[in-house]
Amino acid sequence: MPYILDCEITSHQEVAPGHYRLVAHAPEIAAAAAAGQFCMLEVQEGFYPFLRRPMCFERIYPDSVSILYKIEGEGTRLLSRFTAGQSINIQGPLGKPFPLNGAYQRHIMVAGGIGIAPFPALAEAIIAQLGKTPEVIIAARNEDLLLCEDIFQQMGCKIHLATDDGSVGKKAFASEVLDALEPSKDSIVYCCGPMPMMKATHAVCQQRKIPCLASLEAEMACGDGVCLGCVVEANVEIEAERMVRVCCDGPVFDSTTIHWESY
Amino acid sequence: MSINLEVNVGGLVMKNPVTVGSGTFAYGQEYNSYFDVSRLGAVTTKSLSLKPRAGNKPPRLVETPAGMLNAIGLQNVGIEAYLRDKAPWLREHNCTIIGNIYGYSPEEYAELARRLEAEGAADAIEANLSCPNVHDARTARGCTLVAQDPEQVQRYTEAIRAATKLPLFIKLSPNVIDIAESALAAEAAGADGLSLINTLLGIGINPETRRPILSNIVGGLSGPAIRPVAVKLVWDAARAVKIPIIGMGGICNANDALQFILAGATAVAVGCYTFRKPDAAMDVVNGMEDYCRRHGVEKITDLIGAMEMQ
Repeated sequence: MPYILDCEITSHQEVAPGHYRLVAHAPEIAAAAAAGQFCMLEVQEGFYPFLRRPMCFERIYPDSVSILYKIEGEGTRLLSRFTAGQSINIQGPLGKPFPLNGAYQRHIMVAGGIGIAPFPALAEAIIAQLGKTPEVIIAARNEDLLLCEDIFQQMGCKIHLATDDGSVGKKAFASEVLDALEPSKDSIVYCCGPMPMMKATHAVCQQRKIPCLASLEAEMACGDGVCLGCVVEANVEIEAERMVRVCCDGPVFDSTTIHWESY
Repeated sequence: MSINLEVNVGGLVMKNPVTVGSGTFAYGQEYNSYFDVSRLGAVTTKSLSLKPRAGNKPPRLVETPAGMLNAIGLQNVGIEAYLRDKAPWLREHNCTIIGNIYGYSPEEYAELARRLEAEGAADAIEANLSCPNVHDARTARGCTLVAQDPEQVQRYTEAIRAATKLPLFIKLSPNVIDIAESALAAEAAGADGLSLINTLLGIGINPETRRPILSNIVGGLSGPAIRPVAVKLVWDAARAVKIPIIGMGGICNANDALQFILAGATAVAVGCYTFRKPDAAMDVVNGMEDYCRRHGVEKITDLIGAMEMQ
């Protein structure tokens, strides 16, 4: 059951140019949350922006949650102005978490840009619940925008870096780095990032016949499956199911569900 | 002092005057984890069509100052799935149900109304004659909505009226020159009430890409931004017809809702603000009761059309 609570912000810092990490004291939400789920933040009290902002959980602590986000528009710009000690209204947890399957030996997370956001929580869950240490591909435009490397290092994850400009790591797309890792039958892939990046990652996984879970992002009004504003096109013929809701059918989908040709 | 919030909307008895805007509350159950939805005067369903509809391609919504523009395209489970999967839950939880329907012809509307009544799956029918998001905006021009043409309103309303004895409400469009014309047409054809307003037509364009933001190009504007327009149209309609009105458009709290009632609405619906605050409609119920207590109003019906003009 989702909660709607005023939560105290315990820390809020810029972690890279235009990127912030907000930690809020939210014991009830943290206790109910799982990796891959998200919450809806009220970024201000008035009517512009009118809607809440959906944000996945970066980390889930015993009594708090952290949100990692990038300033994209007015909502995130206003969000970035909150300071530690202030209270923020959080609705959550919402959506379906990453399913965890211990049958796979190799768990590879593929992140593009701010798409890294759900993976620290996922890595922790894989380590804690499956007793396996995941690998992570962190791709970004340049070195300054690589996020969470220190977190994954502390967890002991194998890290593969890629940048568009080659400033650090491989000058390659995340999907190319994944392919070079030669994931095989014992592997499962988790991806999050821009649609073209996830589409390419899905293609690599299809070719290698391995499962791929994609965490999608969409503009949404409610986060509860009601407004039907956040849908993406699905790979089914049934009229009633041709659109899937990112908020409650996802945000995590088996990548074969999504009709990638539309994106 | 005990406050009586009960209203009778054209034969539909509601324990308080608050329902929800069709399409902002799905089929009711979705919001029951936030509050007991049976406490609302009524639950209004998403528009139901004979066949399931996938709706428009995304992007379907964009935020606007104090509101949002949407072009969902009436995605819904279809009448069969509603009867099988959704209505039983509403019944088990003692919800009063306003079944909102959408069809492509008077016959389809009539069939939908007939099914809802026969299956006991609605206590009243709200016919959506005013959805702006199911037409191709590239070619459409002029009166594309049934609700924009009073003769069509009359023809559709007569067909639905003949198919059901349930209280029948016609949901009208604000995108008209004179709301009184469509209101009178619905009344003449036997409607028991009116619901207004549906969304205002709008377009958003991204200057960077020079493309429309919504895949449907045109969408429907809702939220607090449209509230004064909605109150004015309710006032216009209430002076034109004798049948009761369910007023809606940007209601976020009891004060907003009371404006509609003072302008002549018998009941109100909370729309897209529920997306921001899932229990907003319940806040309106509680706020109305507080208002009545503060102002010594014993029954809410005393406030209908009670705006004082010198």
